[in-house]
Amino acid sequence: MANLLKMLATPEFFWSIIRISAPIIFATLAAIVVEKAGFANIGLEGLMMFAALSGSLVSYYTKSWFWGLIAALLTGVLMSLLMGFFAFKLKTDIILVGIAINMMGSGGTLFLCKVITNLTEGKPMASTTGLITKSLCIPDINIPLISSIPFLGKVISGHNLLTYFAFLFCLLTSIMLYKTPLGLNIRAVGENPNAASSVGVSVLNIKYVAIAFSGLMCGFGGAFMSMAYAQGWSLDMVAGRGFIALAAQAMGGGECLGGMLSALVFGFAQALGIKFSAIGLDSNLASPIPYAITIIGLVIFALIRNNKVKKQHSAAALKN
Amino acid sequence: MTKKRQIKFTLIRTLVAISIALLVAALLIFISSGGSTFAEKLNATKEALKQMLIGPLFRMSEKKGTSFEAKRFTEILAAMIPTTFTGLSVCIMFAANQFNMGAEGGIMLGAFVSAMAAIYLPLPAGLHPVVAVLLGGLAVGIVMLIPAVLKAKLNVSEMVCSLMLNYIIMYVIKFLMNTYLADKSKGQIMSFPFRETSVISPIVDNKIFSGSKLTWGFVIAMIAVVLCGLFMYRSRWGYAIRMIGINQDFSKYSGMNVAGTIILSQVVGGFLAGAGGGIEMLGRYNTFSWSALPGYGWTGITIAILAGNNPYMVPLAAFFMAYLSKGCDLMATYAKVPAQLISIVQGVIFLFFAAEQFLSGYKQKLVVQSAQEEIARQNAAKAQEG
Repeated sequence: MANLLKMLATPEFFWSIIRISAPIIFATLAAIVVEKAGFANIGLEGLMMFAALSGSLVSYYTKSWFWGLIAALLTGVLMSLLMGFFAFKLKTDIILVGIAINMMGSGGTLFLCKVITNLTEGKPMASTTGLITKSLCIPDINIPLISSIPFLGKVISGHNLLTYFAFLFCLLTSIMLYKTPLGLNIRAVGENPNAASSVGVSVLNIKYVAIAFSGLMCGFGGAFMSMAYAQGWSLDMVAGRGFIALAAQAMGGGECLGGMLSALVFGFAQALGIKFSAIGLDSNLASPIPYAITIIGLVIFALIRNNKVKKQHSAAALKN
Repeated sequence: MTKKRQIKFTLIRTLVAISIALLVAALLIFISSGGSTFAEKLNATKEALKQMLIGPLFRMSEKKGTSFEAKRFTEILAAMIPTTFTGLSVCIMFAANQFNMGAEGGIMLGAFVSAMAAIYLPLPAGLHPVVAVLLGGLAVGIVMLIPAVLKAKLNVSEMVCSLMLNYIIMYVIKFLMNTYLADKSKGQIMSFPFRETSVISPIVDNKIFSGSKLTWGFVIAMIAVVLCGLFMYRSRWGYAIRMIGINQDFSKYSGMNVAGTIILSQVVGGFLAGAGGGIEMLGRYNTFSWSALPGYGWTGITIAILAGNNPYMVPLAAFFMAYLSKGCDLMATYAKVPAQLISIVQGVIFLFFAAEQFLSGYKQKLVVQSAQEEIARQNAAKAQEG
């Protein structure tokens, strides 16, 4: 036990928490914005899978991580707009659209991968891990001054470009939601679409913008998965991060800061799991921890929320 | 709209949705098929599609021509067993508007518990599979209490909760297998063999039936369909589940036990998924060796959507999905198109089926037609009176 604690108190461990949290943060931001616009996008998982595949493939064929990233973002946005078309135009239940995207994101990406790369022969589990080299990955950034700070430098510096983007986007998304007309419209549409529509806001357009934003974030998340976290795409590599993000959104109270902190909690749990298996415990014992923490977190959040509502009610009752 | 027109619309809508999905499939096959010229590709696409659509029932060979394949047909029926159960499970949960995705983990847990009962419980032949399957179902029913009670009491999203449970179930089973329950003499991670008393036997003990694993489980699945249908349309619990699905507030104000019904629907759904897992395990395998979620839960969701949450339609939808899946497998074998095409086809069909506004213009036309006829009839009746 003391051994484990010693392993945890290293800058490498904190560094790995931040790294593991990055894709969850992207997906959480996606969940937060659509939730603000009044609906739930549970297709984050599938969107990230598609973005991860297209990012790694394009970066391989163009020999440039930049175009890979652009392709991942475009894939995320286009797929999410397709989701929007089915949900808003054809009036499919948005949850069912999400399930369909997740279905396609699992087997469908493997199909596309096999077809595009012709890696079928003798390889039942085709992946693009053989195609992506270190130079095709999104680069890591060493921050000059900060990296020389003793403990903190090693935690904060040396991360992937997209990891910094993840935290930057937390701030930007928060500003977008609370300081811009677009954010106001998104929140208005989420809270009361009729009122928003009565003052001339196009509810439909705002919903499309919100879902496209979630697609963009999933594009970042997917690109991070296949071009930074791992080298290359493989089947079901997102491994429930899209679902964990839904939980992080709920646990964080639907706000960017809270969502980010919840994502970090999940990152911590996952990093802990990896350490568990490093000291010889069965990784299958550690792997369910983040998922269990999610459920516990949701319960705690619900209890707090219910308490708050009760207090508000009793306060209102006393006033009268 | 008259009932006849309603049926006509549903049929046409179904056909159009399936046609669109097949068109998408054809396009993808065309892109992925070998051959350098357009004509060659077209030919390869034709061959692949033929395997996918006709292959599941007929063997096509140059010499003997096309002949009916009883073995493949029984294989399709056998493949329906687990998905019928997950389909029913999802039907009941979705009918109450509970988007519980736990059928996926549920079927694995059910299979695991039944397998353990099959290995470690000494029971006589007739009773053993029954007890094992019931235990599997009960275990999942109890686990589903977690998302159900949390939803009913604290309004925690049952969807997120059940998704998380799927992963937890998978990892815990893997942990238990690796650490305690595996037969260490084997190269792979697998349990000890089931006791012979626990086997669910094939309906007919000949090469075709026992080879395809078409067991009595199929008959049980069909009985389950009828029971679920009766439960949903002929019992007050089923009525409450459907009413809550349609309008939860109204149900609450009319005095229904909303929380209890939410819990009931998910526990019954969990029981069905678990029992299905047990039947699949005891019918098809003789040791437990699953190391990942089997995917039957997601197929079950597609089936429930195709069936419109109506238990009686589940076998039809399950047959369709099993047929398609078999077709994709055959296509992968004979035409070198990856079998995962099925998940794209499945997704497209799913999307168009769930789309309320899909072909709404046509529906509108049918409604108007009915109304005009009604008016004409009334006018004629008035004219006669007058």
